Amino acid sequence: MSAPNEDNTQLSSHFFGDLLDSIIVDVASECHRIAKVGLDRNLEEEEEELRLSAQARASVADPSNSGEANNKYVVDIFGQTHPPVANEIFKCMNCGRSIAAGRFAPHLEKCMGKGRKARLKVTRSSTAAQNQYSRGSPVSTYSSYTNSTSTSRLSNGTPGFAGEEYSNGTYEGEP
Amino acid sequence: MSSKINGNVSPQQCPHLLDFRSRNGSKPFRALQDCIRVKPPGGRAAIRREPSEVPGCGTCEESSRPRLYACVACAAVLCHSPPLHSHASTHALSNPGHEIAVDVDRAELFCCVCRDQVYDRDFDSAIVLAQSINAIATATTSTSGATAMQCNVAGSQPENLRKRRRVDYRPWAPDSREHVIIGNHSILLHDATNASLISSTELPRGLRGLNNLGNTCFMSSVLQALLHTPPLRNYFLSDRHNRYYCQQKNGAFNGTKNSILCLACDMDAMFSAVFSGDRTPYSPAKFLYSWWQHAANLASYEQQDAHEFFISVLDGIHEKVEKDKTKSRSPGSGECCIAHRVFSGILRSDVMCMACGFTSTTYDPCVDISLDLEPNQGGSGKSSSAKSHSSCNVEADCKGSNQNCGISTLKGCLERFTRAEKLGSDQKFFCQKCRVRQESLKQMSIRKLPLVSCFHIKRFEHSSIRKMSRKVDRYLQFPFSLDMAPYLSSSILRNRFGNRIFPFDGDEQDASNELSSEFELFAVVTHTGRLDAGHYVTYLRLSNQWYKCDDAWITRVNDSIVRAAQGYMMFYVQKMLYYKASEKQAAS
Repeated sequence: MSAPNEDNTQLSSHFFGDLLDSIIVDVASECHRIAKVGLDRNLEEEEEELRLSAQARASVADPSNSGEANNKYVVDIFGQTHPPVANEIFKCMNCGRSIAAGRFAPHLEKCMGKGRKARLKVTRSSTAAQNQYSRGSPVSTYSSYTNSTSTSRLSNGTPGFAGEEYSNGTYEGEP
Repeated sequence: MSSKINGNVSPQQCPHLLDFRSRNGSKPFRALQDCIRVKPPGGRAAIRREPSEVPGCGTCEESSRPRLYACVACAAVLCHSPPLHSHASTHALSNPGHEIAVDVDRAELFCCVCRDQVYDRDFDSAIVLAQSINAIATATTSTSGATAMQCNVAGSQPENLRKRRRVDYRPWAPDSREHVIIGNHSILLHDATNASLISSTELPRGLRGLNNLGNTCFMSSVLQALLHTPPLRNYFLSDRHNRYYCQQKNGAFNGTKNSILCLACDMDAMFSAVFSGDRTPYSPAKFLYSWWQHAANLASYEQQDAHEFFISVLDGIHEKVEKDKTKSRSPGSGECCIAHRVFSGILRSDVMCMACGFTSTTYDPCVDISLDLEPNQGGSGKSSSAKSHSSCNVEADCKGSNQNCGISTLKGCLERFTRAEKLGSDQKFFCQKCRVRQESLKQMSIRKLPLVSCFHIKRFEHSSIRKMSRKVDRYLQFPFSLDMAPYLSSSILRNRFGNRIFPFDGDEQDASNELSSEFELFAVVTHTGRLDAGHYVTYLRLSNQWYKCDDAWITRVNDSIVRAAQGYMMFYVQKMLYYKASEKQAAS
């Protein structure tokens, strides 16, 4: 007769084996159902996309590939070239002055008084605040358990005021 | 995929099951309903005559077999333990009519002669109904008429999804008279055999650079995507928003105002200009001016975010329309304005009490989906084989791709988005059944897909400890073709109930929706550079060719450039609305 300790080891092995068998059958049963009922995902297509992606990254990283010279274009597909600062001239619709396109935004900012004086009277109604689609309501982000005021804001252009102060994007039009 | 089993299609049944059904109907399955036990919350269904029954094989009296089956005909419990023995098979072979049994621990049908698991719709219905008794919901939208038991599970219609009368999709082909008309009014394309005559400047319509007006690449990048969003393009090019008529109707040209603020009018003007055939870069100055009036708090020429701009423009188009219409539209139906008709979908949120299984469901409209990148996997790329495949592991996000653990994918992000998430103990939800706050499980799913899905990747990381923000440059793989079926409410629910054959919320009964979960990528907005000093570029897919739109510069690029790019916003359109270039016949 084996010693009590050996019995326990054997017994616990036995239970473990049973549990493991049971779990294996659980997984097999679930996979079998998914396959038979027609729910299995098209893994080949997905693997193909991943393969193409890996291939693409490798080829882009390869310095011998001409790749895309960032912002060093010679001609576009229409055979045109463009200066770094757009030089099309048009009239500012706020003040009437002639402005070069590439300098229009900074001009407009001053011209409109940085947006504060820019609001015309009739463009907002008070119902805008309750507009379901305004930024503040659950429209675009869905884990309400992430910081809902966290913004994912990637700005462009030269550094203006640095730091993490971003508007939270409520378009209520309130001052 | 999920629509295949919405109740119309049955998996192939073995002859014994068919025979059993023809002799007994579905009565034996329904009789089993009393024996179905479900461990909350949302646990697996098991078969027990008494709740505390410990089943054992009638022949060998072993309880510890991993597979015990109860004969549906006589309720004898027998084991199936290949290769040793199968008392279940012995029983079936010696008792005609007793071929079908049910797995007592998994509530799955088994044919003891074929020695294989088999599937039956009526059996599955009985199981799902037994499981849903635990999950009686009072959805926050009215579900008049539906029984409490079924309303959460089967086809509870949120009120903003009122059934529109559907017209069956029928492909059209011209008859002989129409053929003649088409022929007389068509411009011939170049003959394929004269391939050399096809000029390389036969470029897609609507391809036109947008001048940077001073740090406005956030705007030009999104505008390029919108200009080539098929349903939006079709709407404006079909003159559905005529800017002259709109301005006149709203009192412009009389009084002191020269024009009424209407982003749709400005958009209409832009579509006209961009699709005019003129290839010199267009300056969206008027659009900028109008947009700054609409989004006054963003009217600064520095640091703008493309996604914020996108949301703001849709909002601007919607708001103007809302003011015009006298009757209010139910949100989420997309009937209010073109912006929502194109981009608006409906998300479903389920919160399940972990104590009793009671589930509370809400529906919310959304115009895009913002996705978190996975938490830092710390040393991505190494030890991919060591990473486990356990679905419980919140950190490992490599489902479905063994060899690519470490690469973030869009599908991976969507899987995380629709994963059941345990709410922290500090976020206990008030359970209406238990009448106390309980720990809960929350799960999102997509109830209704929009025509165009915009995915926004949250590449922003904010550290409150270090009081700084940084951009996450991590690469994200995104497919050119995307099937959204696994993220639909019907699929998520179905999976929660063990993938049973049963019509779940969102399953469409008609075949015309079979393709409606397949999407094609048509635009990618990318960001390079730092958080506060970066640059946006859009890649457009037109006639299966990719074009890079870098402000005024339009160039052609190959697939690899796009696949390797750092996606910030990806635009997918429903496949049936997407026109691919047809394969040109090879010159002989």
